[in-house]
Amino acid sequence: MHPHAEQLLRDRRHFLTTSANGVGLLALAALLTEDGRLSAANAVVSPLAPKPPHFPAKAKNCICIYLEGAPSQLDLFDPKPKLNALHGQKLPESFTKNVRFAFLQKDTATVMGSPRQWKKYGQCGMELSDFLPHLGSVADEIAWVRSMHTEAFNHHPGQLLMNTGSTMFGRPSMGSWLNYGLGSVAKNLPGYVVLSAGRGTSGGTSNWGSGFLPSPYAGTLFRNQGEPVLNLANPEGLSDAMQARTIEAIRDLNGVRHARIGDAEIESRVAAYELAFRMQSAAPDLIDLSQEDQSTMDAYGINRSEPEIQAHRGGGKGQFRQFATNCLLARRLVERGVRFVSLFHASWDHHSNLDSELQHNSLMADQPVAALIRDLKQRGLLDETLVLWLSEFGRTPLGENRRGRAGVTGRDHHPYAFTVWMAGGGVKGGTILGTTDEIGWNVTTDPVHINDLHATILHLFGMDHKKLTYRFQGRDFRLTDVAGNVVTKLLA
Amino acid sequence: MNTLIRAFLLLSATLGSVLAQAVPPALPPADPGVIDFEKDVRPILAEACWKCHNAAKQRGGVRLDDRKALLAGGNSGAIVEVGQSAKSRLIAVVAGHDEEMKMPPSGPSLTAKQVGILRAWIDQGLKLPTTRIVDGIASSSSHWAFQPIRRPSVPRLGENTLHPVDAFIQARLAEEHVRPAPEADRTTLLRRVYLDLTGLPPTPSEVEAFLKDASPDAYEKIVDHLLASPHYGEKWARHWLDAARYADSDGYEKDTGRPYAWRYRDWVISALNADKPFDAFTIEQLAGDLLPNATPAQKIATGFHRQTLTNKEGGVDQEEFRVAAVVDRVSTTATVWLGLTVACAQCHDHKYDPISHREFYQIFAYFDSDVETNISAPLPEEVATLPAKRAEWERKHQELTEALALAKKEKRTAAELKKREKALADHAKTAPQPTPAMTLALGPTRATHVMMRGDFLRPGVAVKSGTPAVLPGGDRTANGNRLDLARWLVSQDNPLTARVMVNWVWQKYFGRGLVATLNDFGTQGEKPSHPELLDWLAAEFRDPARCHWSWKKLHRLIVTSATYKQSSADRPELRDRDPLNVWLARQNRLRLPAELIRDSALAASGLLTRTIGGPSVRPPQPAGISELTYAGSAKWATSTGSARYRRGLYIWFQRTSPYPMLMTFDSPDSNVCVMRREQSNTPLQALTLLNDTVFVELAQALAKRVLLERAGKPVSEQLTYAVLLVLGRRPTPVERQRLERLLGDFQILAAKEPQAAQKLAGSVPPQGVSPAEVAAWVALARTLMNLDEFVTRE
Repeated sequence: MHPHAEQLLRDRRHFLTTSANGVGLLALAALLTEDGRLSAANAVVSPLAPKPPHFPAKAKNCICIYLEGAPSQLDLFDPKPKLNALHGQKLPESFTKNVRFAFLQKDTATVMGSPRQWKKYGQCGMELSDFLPHLGSVADEIAWVRSMHTEAFNHHPGQLLMNTGSTMFGRPSMGSWLNYGLGSVAKNLPGYVVLSAGRGTSGGTSNWGSGFLPSPYAGTLFRNQGEPVLNLANPEGLSDAMQARTIEAIRDLNGVRHARIGDAEIESRVAAYELAFRMQSAAPDLIDLSQEDQSTMDAYGINRSEPEIQAHRGGGKGQFRQFATNCLLARRLVERGVRFVSLFHASWDHHSNLDSELQHNSLMADQPVAALIRDLKQRGLLDETLVLWLSEFGRTPLGENRRGRAGVTGRDHHPYAFTVWMAGGGVKGGTILGTTDEIGWNVTTDPVHINDLHATILHLFGMDHKKLTYRFQGRDFRLTDVAGNVVTKLLA
Repeated sequence: MNTLIRAFLLLSATLGSVLAQAVPPALPPADPGVIDFEKDVRPILAEACWKCHNAAKQRGGVRLDDRKALLAGGNSGAIVEVGQSAKSRLIAVVAGHDEEMKMPPSGPSLTAKQVGILRAWIDQGLKLPTTRIVDGIASSSSHWAFQPIRRPSVPRLGENTLHPVDAFIQARLAEEHVRPAPEADRTTLLRRVYLDLTGLPPTPSEVEAFLKDASPDAYEKIVDHLLASPHYGEKWARHWLDAARYADSDGYEKDTGRPYAWRYRDWVISALNADKPFDAFTIEQLAGDLLPNATPAQKIATGFHRQTLTNKEGGVDQEEFRVAAVVDRVSTTATVWLGLTVACAQCHDHKYDPISHREFYQIFAYFDSDVETNISAPLPEEVATLPAKRAEWERKHQELTEALALAKKEKRTAAELKKREKALADHAKTAPQPTPAMTLALGPTRATHVMMRGDFLRPGVAVKSGTPAVLPGGDRTANGNRLDLARWLVSQDNPLTARVMVNWVWQKYFGRGLVATLNDFGTQGEKPSHPELLDWLAAEFRDPARCHWSWKKLHRLIVTSATYKQSSADRPELRDRDPLNVWLARQNRLRLPAELIRDSALAASGLLTRTIGGPSVRPPQPAGISELTYAGSAKWATSTGSARYRRGLYIWFQRTSPYPMLMTFDSPDSNVCVMRREQSNTPLQALTLLNDTVFVELAQALAKRVLLERAGKPVSEQLTYAVLLVLGRRPTPVERQRLERLLGDFQILAAKEPQAAQKLAGSVPPQGVSPAEVAAWVALARTLMNLDEFVTRE
């Protein structure tokens, strides 16, 4: 069949959805085919039915931890003693010539040192700042990339580039591409779930949208207050028994209609209602943490006390608990077969008060993220679960002297060199990839562009980034657009 | 020396040596002999270059078969310097000395001898014969969509005179020996045409009246009635707004609201209701501001291209986002009017279609000098009341001014002077202003350049505005402005616009276009399933003696055809032969667009507010949605009163946190032009219709409406009325039986938990009905509004 005809057929028969898995519906499709009501050519294939990768690979699921706003690599991952030596001095113009900043006044900006203490961790000897002791304890599970670079230096385009491979609106996100390429084995949950803590990201839903891919591939935002999925709870006063009678009646009445009209789309809708009904109990079960033992809760630090902080960059109190809970939920989602879990936290955009606010955020993230890695490993899930720590860019070696602000206490946006890391899922733990120059301005060895990172992520899932394409507006689109090379040094 | 500077110098030195290593050995020497073009040069160019650089095709803007063209260079500038072959970029690229490209891009490279010959040719004066030296490929294309529209004759089948649309469709069916489907039953047909033309279902009394009307033109009367309804404009405006990527906010980062975006939306509604001919409709939206003595309404129309995204983030390069907006205007114009995807040509020559990289920027030039602006555009009621308000304001202003002058003259206390000054300043702020509107206007002229690889920081050669050479009639638009472009788009010369528009309309009625790829009429798009019908409709739509660009006449033409009126029931015998129903041996069932699902539920419940136009509204949405925006910047102040029950197209569209119900049912994200919506079928849709507070409220209203309007009637009659309200038809006996059983179940369950029942019943139960009874009816009404048929145009 012509590819476009196939596409149309698929559009007509969006059997499955963000919450569906292939199994039940494929069974239904098989039934219909046996029944002679659907021809073989017309058989329904769920857009989320599991599909084989291009080649065998370890990674099956991904947990993507996204720190919105750009955590300072110079105060967490990439020690630069030279910054302290040069603190307060101006940089030669050659550095800042042709460089644009969001807020920094480059005529008067000076180098900003870091008061952090650094320590080497694990056999790999990764140097981390005193803000990240827990991550240090799992340093050998992680492949550290100190040589990331990007071309976007504003938040929204930067986030789009990191999450969708393009600075422009309307492209599918990583999780959408993976669900499109591999389908999902999650039974009663969407194949792509988004959790968030803190305030909203400046990219909003475009960071987990399906872009031009069909809507079943979009991320489903599980909310951090009340019910995890919108409209999951029955209307007030409507019992589960009434809901069950409703679903039955919908099935019967749609069945009567189907007997006269014979459109397979009616059966899709019946299946969607039954899945919705299952999700109504599966999603609350997912978030019911009473099933976890106390040691697990403690390891993630769910009930830690949250220190006071005089800043609202992160969106108020309660984030410690929320972020830790999201880390634990990520494991529970992966256990239930969810292909891609995104954890967003905003914001790490430390233009000012960097020391105290970065400390606060690090304290929040360090323990639960390390616990997640250890927990996945103990349960034998780390091999098949890729864990990512990403952001849109890094922060400047120069202090930010924004006009109208007293004192220099933060750093501006810096796209030329920053740090991300990945663990599990076929990644070579203990790798420290790439170096930056003496002040962390530019990458000096093993540069990794976002397109390269995406190519590598797809590779870990057994997908060739050049072959995973979707035709839209007359051309074949890829997550990596027209670039990207797999970074083999990161592979186990 | 400062260590850092030393480090930096070291770094640059390293970089320098890397670059030095990358430079290959010197260029091959120029051939020492005297060059004969025919003998020496032609074979090289013919073998390696002319395939892509000839009279018809100029990849990269480069043409290598003409001396003038050679001297003019390509998109990135000069390629030869006569007498200076070592400085000529042509030599660098064929010798592998250019950093960016190597030519030819595939196949064997030129040998050192061949490079030497080309060097000598340049050094010896670049001699070429003046006569045409290459057999040019015709500069027009033979692709079907670029050919002029001819009006095909309507096929004759047998003795009956068929509706022309049916004649074309049935001619094809006859070839396949397939008979068309019978007409849909009357209630199905009525609901279909109501939803298609106005987006609202017929009321029970309209259904009954139609069933009773035995006159032969009963259906045509309905069609005319619906086309005259103001709801027609609302329904079709929403389709157009998808193409216009209309929204109520900026898009990027803070996603600032656009409180007057609705002025453009309302212009579309009223233009459609007034049946503004499509040529004027086009011209006013693309260049209303350039019309002589342009009216405020014509300027509001030009807001079509003001719907692009805006980024106000700190430090943003405004030029980058201005260029992105202009690129979007080019792409949207090409998609909506020409059915062409030109986005590829932004960065390079279009791989499949004969639109070149340079031509993309020629279209770009039409929009390059535009500036975004807000105009004062008084509403009709302001036109009437504003002068009086203004006079009153001026009178008071005068009074305060004089009082202040007097006080100064009388040397009153400083405190009193200050008080009077403040009173004057405060009053100045209250000057009555007409409501503004967002639009585009012509700014200072910009020199447009080709952007190499689409990068605004890498300008190539300068270009002037012009339409793609492959389409006829463009010579009159060369060096023109937006108005020239708009006039050319709707001229008799351009074969695409009419075809693309009738195809777009056709798709809304049948779910599939006659050309399935609505936004790709190029060589990579699908061929039309019924080419003659497409051309006949295009001719009919455009010809002055026929529809003369009247939308309403086109709609009437299509919906009065037997093809449109067919039953949509599946035909098992055709499943293998025509799985996508391309032949149209039946109608297609279409899932309603998001807005229409809301509208239908509002109509069934009796709560619908039928007001047309005005500022966007914010119906209830689940908590925690607007908090997703940047720092929760988009507050959602839920609308109250009748504004809460307005149609879906009036819902405020916040780009970074769109109304969830709309997105769940496949509304476009409004960031780019959309010609055809997805139709998904998901559990999130089920959860929305089952549990969203808006739909629960409507189920409560529907239940009470039935219990009130059919108070004291037998249950069977009440059920019939409920089904009539929701589905526009009476239930079958089997359905009624099932619904009676369901109601009984709900009654028993509701009676068991009186407190819960009270909650489900909602406020103010109808007199004399127990809360448990109301609750059971709410649950039943909710079930009806979750049926597949309810969200489907049958």
